[in-house]
Amino acid sequence: MNVRIPILKLRDTLIVSIQWELDDQTAIQFQEDLLTKLHETSARGVVIDLTSIDFIDSFIAKVLGDVISMSSLMGARVVITGIQPAVAITLIELGIRLEDVMTALDLENGLDKLQLELEA
Amino acid sequence: MSNQSSVEIQTEWDIVAARQLGRNVAKELGFGTVDQARITTAISELARNIYLYAGQGRIEIQRLTENGINGILIIAADNGPGIPDIRKVMEDGFSTSGGLGAGLPGVKRLMDDFKIETTLGEGTDIRATKWLR
Amino acid sequence: MNKQMARYIQENMTEIISNWQEMMKNEKGERSFEVMPAELMDQTSREFAELMTSNLLESHQAYESRLNDFAEKVVRYGWSITFVTKAINHFGEIVFAGMERDGVINSDNLRAFAEEFNKWITPIRDSTIDTYSKTWERTVSLQKIALQELSASLIPVFDKVSVMPLVGTIDTERARLIMENLLEGVVKHRAEVILLDITGVPVVDTMVAHHIIQAADAVRLVGAKCMLVGIRPEIAQTIVTLGINLNEFTTTSTLQRGVEQALAWTNRKIVEVDEV
Repeated sequence: MNVRIPILKLRDTLIVSIQWELDDQTAIQFQEDLLTKLHETSARGVVIDLTSIDFIDSFIAKVLGDVISMSSLMGARVVITGIQPAVAITLIELGIRLEDVMTALDLENGLDKLQLELEA
Repeated sequence: MSNQSSVEIQTEWDIVAARQLGRNVAKELGFGTVDQARITTAISELARNIYLYAGQGRIEIQRLTENGINGILIIAADNGPGIPDIRKVMEDGFSTSGGLGAGLPGVKRLMDDFKIETTLGEGTDIRATKWLR
Repeated sequence: MNKQMARYIQENMTEIISNWQEMMKNEKGERSFEVMPAELMDQTSREFAELMTSNLLESHQAYESRLNDFAEKVVRYGWSITFVTKAINHFGEIVFAGMERDGVINSDNLRAFAEEFNKWITPIRDSTIDTYSKTWERTVSLQKIALQELSASLIPVFDKVSVMPLVGTIDTERARLIMENLLEGVVKHRAEVILLDITGVPVVDTMVAHHIIQAADAVRLVGAKCMLVGIRPEIAQTIVTLGINLNEFTTTSTLQRGVEQALAWTNRKIVEVDEV
């Protein structure tokens, strides 16, 4: 059951909502799909919403970090939204700080932040 | 219900199975969402270590009761190559797999007790406990 | 012999108690007695004397219940365990000296009486210390719960801006609790800026700073921003002296300035309006 994560396009922004627990294959597939989509659409911003995710281990964190760096190489800013308190605490205790990552409370906030960032 | 269950780790999918088992047991024991996330994450890290370094092994989840306090014990055991320098892998930022280097020190921080036994050429046995407060 | 001892104590109760009080007052470094009102002191002394005779005369059960009452009381009065032990020893010494003076104890039965005294005093001392420490442990754990209840709630002050006042010493366990409350609060109140007020934190050492930095990092992950306010001069001094790096932090000395900054970050400010 290899499910792909849907990537939606709204004007010049890609919106991704991760709805279920990520296994390694799905995570890597997602990384490829997102970069391909960025290339096709030349979107300037990406919002990845993690509201439904209840844990992130170092592997998933690394994939996310890589996606952000790769997107920025391709000229797109990424905002991560909806990280749950429990997830944030475990990440910090694991020693994963995800520095230089833009974050927002929810999708709406994330889109606002992205808009400000792109206008600047 | 048995108070012990385990998952053989052979493929990446088994990592998912192991952490789902751990999360269910943690939930049943009454751990809060933050502790559930800590336990699930710790299992994921340990299972991935087995998959990456030993090729195969086993994650065992046990319910514990000590002095009237309930807890969960994660045992990660493999017959892999063992760890040559434990001190080094317990240092923050050390990783041989190109991950973020969270690894074992991170697991230790997530859990309450952490014990590791390893013999070169024979394997590694890691036991991590979280108590229900 | 027990009966003899008990009779002696009961007959000479007033004298024993006053001698004993005198002896206890002379104990150096103990203020427990000095600060006690005379009336309360007399009452406590009498209870103590009753406890001391209780295990000579009464049933074991009655003795146990007296012991528990007394231990709870002295913990509440703040007597130290050293003071309590001395109180027991002195009481024994006074009774022994008194019985010797009155000729109840003489060179013939000295050894037997010494043994009897030992059998009398030692269990009292042991069980008092035991009860004392149990009562003490219970007090500590109750205080711990009280402290946890006191810990850290997030208070919304404006739309998008919340304050968390931190009060008291921060240890690892409290730091965890604070972090959880903080993050749950951020999500619940949809706060974009959090002011962590450390005015009430007596000491900021490397450990406390580490906890604060971790909390701020976690706040950043859920999508909000942390500011450290209420930094007193001596705290600023220790932070710099210890070489703690808070450069990634916005910090201000007062909550008021922090609130102004928080409003600026969310594109707002406070304006004065003309009276209508």
